[in-house]
Amino acid sequence: MKYLVMVQGSQADYEAMSGKPSADSPAWSEKELQAMFAFMSELNNDLAESGELVDGQGLTEPAQTRFVSRDKDGRPVITDGPYGETKEVLAGYWVLDCESLERVTEIALRISECPSPEGVVDPPVVIRPLQDASGGEV
Amino acid sequence: MRPTTGTEDLLRLHAPQVLGALVRRYGHFGAAEDAVQEALLAAARQWPDQGLPENPRGWLIKVASRRLMDQLRADEARRRREEDAARLTPRDAFTAPPPGESRAPADDDTLTLLFLCCRPELSPAAQVALTLRAVGGLTTAEIARAHLVPEATMAQRISRAKAKIKGAPFRQPGPADRDARLAVVLQVLYLIFNEGYTATSGDALRRADLAREAIRLTRAVRRLLPREGPVTGLLALMLLTEARSAARTGPHGELIPLDEQDRTRWDRRAIAEGTALVEEALAQGPPGPYQLQAAIAALHDEAATPDSTDWPQILALYDILVRLTPEPMAGLGRTVAYAMVHGPHAGLDELASFEDELRGHYRLDAVRAHLLEKAGDTERARAAYRSAARGTLSRPEAHYLQTRAARLAP
Repeated sequence: MKYLVMVQGSQADYEAMSGKPSADSPAWSEKELQAMFAFMSELNNDLAESGELVDGQGLTEPAQTRFVSRDKDGRPVITDGPYGETKEVLAGYWVLDCESLERVTEIALRISECPSPEGVVDPPVVIRPLQDASGGEV
Repeated sequence: MRPTTGTEDLLRLHAPQVLGALVRRYGHFGAAEDAVQEALLAAARQWPDQGLPENPRGWLIKVASRRLMDQLRADEARRRREEDAARLTPRDAFTAPPPGESRAPADDDTLTLLFLCCRPELSPAAQVALTLRAVGGLTTAEIARAHLVPEATMAQRISRAKAKIKGAPFRQPGPADRDARLAVVLQVLYLIFNEGYTATSGDALRRADLAREAIRLTRAVRRLLPREGPVTGLLALMLLTEARSAARTGPHGELIPLDEQDRTRWDRRAIAEGTALVEEALAQGPPGPYQLQAAIAALHDEAATPDSTDWPQILALYDILVRLTPEPMAGLGRTVAYAMVHGPHAGLDELASFEDELRGHYRLDAVRAHLLEKAGDTERARAAYRSAARGTLSRPEAHYLQTRAARLAP
């Protein structure tokens, strides 16, 4: 079974990780950053070794978002960003191939233990089962 | 799925020569390439159990030829292609040459294949994939893993590339465009090397193979063209760069900049070989970009400590390099050397000339950040590190730049 596992973050969180604090997000110190990078890199290596990792990516900051849509007359409308400073959006994801929902939940719990500075409250890790592209019994 | 290393090395060694023999004899690059892959797989299955055949290359040519014949006959039956029937008759009686005595210069086939895989009508990504498969003897799965793309995607890329060069003559370019074509081959090899060298943590092990493969292929080209300065220079550049790879990343794949690396972990043997090659390359005519970059790498590698780096000499080499190549990255490298010689403030003044060309490019911000930090302007350095971190799409580089910004926190 394949699952999409997502972590979220806001523009303010991204700023804090590159050393610019805001009301809700204290700036990360060099040590705290290194601890987080090491935690994630170990997790990714473990998932690669167990064969469960299909794909895993981090997204650039929300400010670099581009929206593409149509107005009511069907004309294209293209806008760059912005999200609110504190709006939580997708910050990173894994596509995992796991035995069961229990197993992928275990992994999500491990992700939620990622070290962060005192006072940071992380949004929940989200698990969404992927639809299988091959047809099952009808 | 891979056989023991001994068999694997042997297969890699023979792959381009076997393919060359088939293409020379029958044409049909695409079908020949498939047949060789099948023969390699058959060898990988059989040799470890049944022992090596007397003449491994002959064995591979024989098996691959049979596969190709079967394939062509099937095609012919299916599509009644007259021209295949004509090509099915070998141009000479087919016997595998005894070891050490070959009717066709097998080594030259390697070079001809490289020229074929690096034809200008292919995109760089296709050139790389085809080179790794046809000349490197890697399987599609291995190439896909190294590039972190699904195997189906890579299979598609390779078969499209093969279709594109279908009918291209199996011979080396004439003297008129030989230099231009060789430059493309070297560029592809350098691209393969860099893909391996700039691997990220989770995939570092798998992708380091690419750097080694690029070195192996460049060695093969140098054996055939020992007096070409750019070839010698490229091999030197690869060896001198790869020599630092163990010290370049920390335990979690984090990047460690040159001046903070543990130099005892540099590979002295590779440095000695690379340095000797630089001297040889510089004696082989006026230096081009590869020779100059190799000479710069040699100066870095020869310094026992960052402080003993011969920056004036490095700056002199960059001065020549920027006259030869319009690459703004060469200009940024020169600016760093300039700042090491004349101080960070002078470096920042030099940097101003790149503002228009590289506006918003993260490397410009990264160099500026380093120079501001050296100049003691902590606040502006942090802001520059931050915007560089935001601007790069490379995860390890973003992490490194974020860490540098955090290090300067008040």
